[in-house]
Parts: sequence; structure tokens; C-alpha cells
Amino acid sequence: MRTIQHLLAAALGASLIVPSPLLAQETDARAQSELQGLWLTTSWPELKIKPGETHSVSLSLRNEKLPPQRASIEISGVPEGWEWALKGGGRDVSAAIVSPDSTERLTLELTPPQDAGTDDAHAIEVRAQTARETITLPLLVSLSQAEEDVTGLSLEPELPALRGTARSTFSFKVKVKNEGAEDGLFNLAASVPNGFQTRFKKGYGSEEITGLPIAAGATETVTMEVVPSRGVAAGRYEAGLEVSGEGMSSTVQLSLEVTGEPQIRIVGPQERLSGEAVAGKEASFTFTLVNTGTAPASDVELNATPPAGWKVEFEPKDIAQIAPNEAREFNVRMTPSEQAIAGDYMVGIRTSNDVVSENVQFRVTVKTSTLWGAAGLGVIAAAALVMGGAVMRYGRR
Amino acid sequence: MRRSGSPFTGVGAIALKEAADHMTSARMHMIMLLVILTALGAVYGSIGRLRDTTAEDAYLFLKLFTVAQDPLPSFAAFLGFLLPLVSIALGFDAINGEFNRRTMSRVLAQPIYRDAMLFGKFLGGLIVLAVSLLTLWLLMVGLGMLFLGLPPSGGDIVRSVAWLVVTLAYAGVWLALAIALSTLIRTPATSALAALSVWLILAVFWGMVAPLVAGVVAPVDPLEPASILNSFEWRQAISRLSPQTLYGEVTGILLDPAARSVGPLFMHQLHGAVIGSPLPTGQSLLIVWPQISALIAAMLALFTAAYVVFQRQEIRA
Repeated sequence: MRTIQHLLAAALGASLIVPSPLLAQETDARAQSELQGLWLTTSWPELKIKPGETHSVSLSLRNEKLPPQRASIEISGVPEGWEWALKGGGRDVSAAIVSPDSTERLTLELTPPQDAGTDDAHAIEVRAQTARETITLPLLVSLSQAEEDVTGLSLEPELPALRGTARSTFSFKVKVKNEGAEDGLFNLAASVPNGFQTRFKKGYGSEEITGLPIAAGATETVTMEVVPSRGVAAGRYEAGLEVSGEGMSSTVQLSLEVTGEPQIRIVGPQERLSGEAVAGKEASFTFTLVNTGTAPASDVELNATPPAGWKVEFEPKDIAQIAPNEAREFNVRMTPSEQAIAGDYMVGIRTSNDVVSENVQFRVTVKTSTLWGAAGLGVIAAAALVMGGAVMRYGRR
Repeated sequence: MRRSGSPFTGVGAIALKEAADHMTSARMHMIMLLVILTALGAVYGSIGRLRDTTAEDAYLFLKLFTVAQDPLPSFAAFLGFLLPLVSIALGFDAINGEFNRRTMSRVLAQPIYRDAMLFGKFLGGLIVLAVSLLTLWLLMVGLGMLFLGLPPSGGDIVRSVAWLVVTLAYAGVWLALAIALSTLIRTPATSALAALSVWLILAVFWGMVAPLVAGVVAPVDPLEPASILNSFEWRQAISRLSPQTLYGEVTGILLDPAARSVGPLFMHQLHGAVIGSPLPTGQSLLIVWPQISALIAAMLALFTAAYVVFQRQEIRA
């Protein structure tokens, strides 16, 4: 039995091994077709620059599958009077060593003089010289006086119009794309109606920001949160987002639709939330329900959470409709329990419909009936009568 | 023969003379010295406690009367215990002392009735008690102002004055008892002993007697919760036969505005209640009004008993 298993395993192994020479041949062919060598490149070999300003041209030196290469960099063809510098890692350099399969970045800074003639194309040549070869990179730089109108920034809101109540936070997600040639730090500014609050956050982050860095060609998501002022009327409001920096700016218009919302408040009798009642006797208090919101509240139910043994009734039992800024009175009739002890009790009064609810604690000072006081007086009076009787009967001896 | 005129002619004279006699007697001096010393100790202790522990309290002055520092009981507890002694000292030989000194017939030879004699004795004792209590109360308030540096609030004054009046009624009960015994018993020593034993039983031993009697009348069945309550109520009812208990309950309610009941409380009564909020003074008085009326009525009833016995006595000895 065991020998059969071994045989099977061997057969399977053989069938797997058989195609391997074929695979090896394929990978060899691919390796030969891959690139190998040292290159000096730039993204934009022909460019227009403005006189009097320093422009950076980024160069990259790429070593693919070669041993470390030392390259001396030479610049030629820079016109008379232009200032230039070759920077690598922030310093002036004139040579670079590139490790295998990596890229060194260099920056050629060109500053044409203020009075340089325009419309001339200048051929500048960058040469990288290694022990084995010389690599040349021709650049064609022309001057242009004209102010270029490059926005270089595009804003794209995910949802340009949002709807919510005056208490909601409106979150607009806006994709900001830096289409310029350079990385930059961009400032964020919002224009909103008076009293509205704004916050900026990056993507789904929680930190509030005032600006954010965007790499050249990259896109970042900015979240603009707008909180309307509390008492704002229902309606449509505009909010603008402006992103600016590195000489570029762009704006986008967003809109908020604030819907009305009822908000109710309970006001106690004479604006107080306390009252007095006698144990076992009904007491009536007039409360006022005020709608301080921006939409009518309908079908407002009135409820109470009284102490055990208490009876609380409302009149009316519910309020069908209450318009904004309207006040409506309702009566609360409370009967404290017969066994309530003298002192303060809390009665919860709650009003609610399916949208809003409000509750207050009403403090009732329970007084006990003075009936027993009268009984006590009766006992004293009886004792005094007995004494008077004794004086009448046995007096004057 | 029908006698005419008010039976109370001369009450004032006798009462004032009696009060004057008490005020100058060595007996009164001794016992008041005892009371004042203990009271001072209690107040000094409570002031120390108050300064250490109490932060802010709307009824700070009332705490002077009720807060105790450990070895000493509170001022109110001291009064509850010692006032009966003062009253008994004032009244134990009120009538039989006159007989023994053979002054009774001389007094009654004056144009006054016997009624005036007994009423005058009782009122004289009450005047002395009232004066001493008022002095003690003023002493307390003065010490409180001196050491706490605060004037008492209006609520403090009203509550403590009400408490003072009840204290007078409580002392009056014991005075009436002592006078009644002094009319019943001809020997002053015996009547003093009788009054003292009643005081001992009601003040010291009643706390042990009440549960015993309640256990006999309403035994507690561990399987029946209602019987526990029933037994407790019996115990409370029996212990309330002692004026000491009644006075203690009045003190507890009047001097603690947050106290709301003297009897057992049920959970359903406390549901929704705001614990610790002060009661209006009138409501506190209403809670202990039965106790107060019982004290006053007991005082009147005991005095009436003394009066009836005295009026029917043969006094031409």
C-alpha cells in the first residue's frame, strides 16, 4: 500500500518538473528585452520662461541594471548674462553617483536677466560624462514676456449642493488637483454668509487645516464643513471655496439648502419650574409650550413621569399644531398621593412628537393637610376643658 | 355655701414669689450650674465639629444644637436628659414642703383661694424654666456668633424659637408630674424619689421596655413582612408614651429642616422625592404637631390631676 503511494507521488512530481526548461527560456528572453543603461532625462525638454525670474528645471539621472555610475555633469550653451546653477540635494554640485536601479534628481536653476530679449530660443545642453560614455540632454529654452494665464488648479466638488437642517454640519468633499509643474502649498479660504462657521479637513482626517501641500499632478480631497448659524431661516445659501497658492488660484461655488425644523420649549408657570400642592388635593399649573424653531410642530403629545401614586392630567391632552414662534398654554393638573410626605418632589413633564421632544423637571413642594393640626388643637382644647371643669367643680376652696 | 370671686385672685403674687424663691435657692443654683456647664461643653464640641466639617449650610445655627462631638452628646440631647431633673428639682416639694414647714395654713389664711396656691406654684416653676431656657438659648446663639462669625438667619431663629417653646412644654410636663406627686405624697423625699424613678423609667429604661412590650403584643413573624411593620408601629406607639421620645422627635424635625418624617417611610412615598431639600418651617411644625399637642395636653392633664387631688385634700393639719 505504502509503496503505491510513493510511486504516485513520484509520478506527479515528474509531471510538474517536465515543463521547467521552457519557463527558464522565456525569462531569459524577457531579461534581454528589458532596458539597461544610464539616462539623463527631464519631463519637459522645451520650455518657456520669463526673464528676471529663477526657474528650476528638474533633471533625473537613471541607472538601470548597471553598477554604480559616476557622472560628471556639464552645462553648455547657457546664453551670456544668464545665471545658472546645478543643484543636487540643495547644494551646488557638478557630479553625481547613481546606484543600480535608482534615480538621482538634479535641478538646473536658470535665471535670465531682466532685459533679455524675448522670442529667442536658446539651446542648452546638459552632459553627463561617465567613464564609458557621454550622455547629452538638449534643452530648448525660450523667453516669453507674456503673463501666462495658467490656473494649474482644478476643483471638483463631489456633491456641489447639500440639504440639511440649521443644526446639521454640511460636509463638502472637493477634489483639488495641482496641474502645475511644481509641488506647492495651497491656502484654503471660504466665503460663506454671515454667521456661518467653516472648517477644512483633509480627506477623512480629523485635524482642521488652513492649507495643504499638493504634489505636482497630484489630487487631494479637501472636506469643507459648513455649520449654519443657529437661527438661520430656511432657504438656499451659497458658499464659495477658494484654493490659492504658488501664483495660482481657483474657486468653486457650493450651495446649501437649509430646511426648517421645529424646536419646542416648555415654560413653567410664571417662568418657574416649581409649585406647591397639598397631599391628596388637586393642584393646577399652567405651562406654556413655545416653538422656537423654524417649522411648525404637529401632533405634540404631553406626558408626565410622576412619583408613585400621583395623578397627573393634561388639558388638552395633545396639541395638534404649533407654528414657529407661537406659544400655546396647557394645564397640568396634579394630585399628589395621599401618602406623600411633606417636602419636595420631582415631576417630569415631557412633550414630544416624532421629530422633537423636550422634557423639564417640575419641582412640587408638597404640603400636608392641616387637618391633623386641628386634631392636635382639639386634644389640647379637651385637656384645657377638663381643667376648666375641674376648676368649676372643685374651685374656690 | 356658694363662694364668690375669681378663684385665681393672687395667682400672680404667688407665682412671682415662688419664682423669686427658686431663683435664689441653692438647689436651683446647683442644678443650673450643672446644666450650663454641660451645655457649654456640648456647644463648644459642636462648634469645633462645625468648623472642621461643615462647608456651607443654610441652617448652620441649627446644627449648633444637634451636632455632637464624640464623648459629649449634642446640646438638644443634653436638654432632653437634664431638663426633667431641673423640673423635678423645682416641683418635688411644692405642696408637701409647705405642709412640712407648716406654712400652708399661713398662706391660705390670706384672702386667696387654694386654686391660686397651686396655679401660682405651677406658673412660678414655668417662669423659672422659661427664664433659664431663654438664657441658655441666648448663650448658645451668642457663642455661635462669636465662634462661627455668622449671624443666625431668619429661618434659624424661627425654628429654634419654636423648638424653645416645645422645650418649655416638655419641661412643663415634668414639672406638672413633680407637683402632682408632691400633692399625692406627704414626704418630700418620697415624692422626689417617686418622680426620679418615673424619670429613670421613661428616660432610660423605656427604650428597652418598648421593644419588649411590642414583641409580646405584636410578635414578628419572619415569613410575614407585614408583621415586621406592625411590630415596628407598636414599638413606636409604646415608646411615644414617654415624653422623652416625643421631645426627641420634635427636636429631630424642627432642628433638621431636611427631615421629612418621624415614622416609617415606604419606597413609594420616596419615589421622585428630592432628598435633602429643606422643608418650610410650617410644614416641619405640622409633622410634629401631634407630638407637640401631646406634650401640652399631657402637661395640662397632669396638672389637672394634681389640682383635683389638692382641692379634695384635708389641709387643716
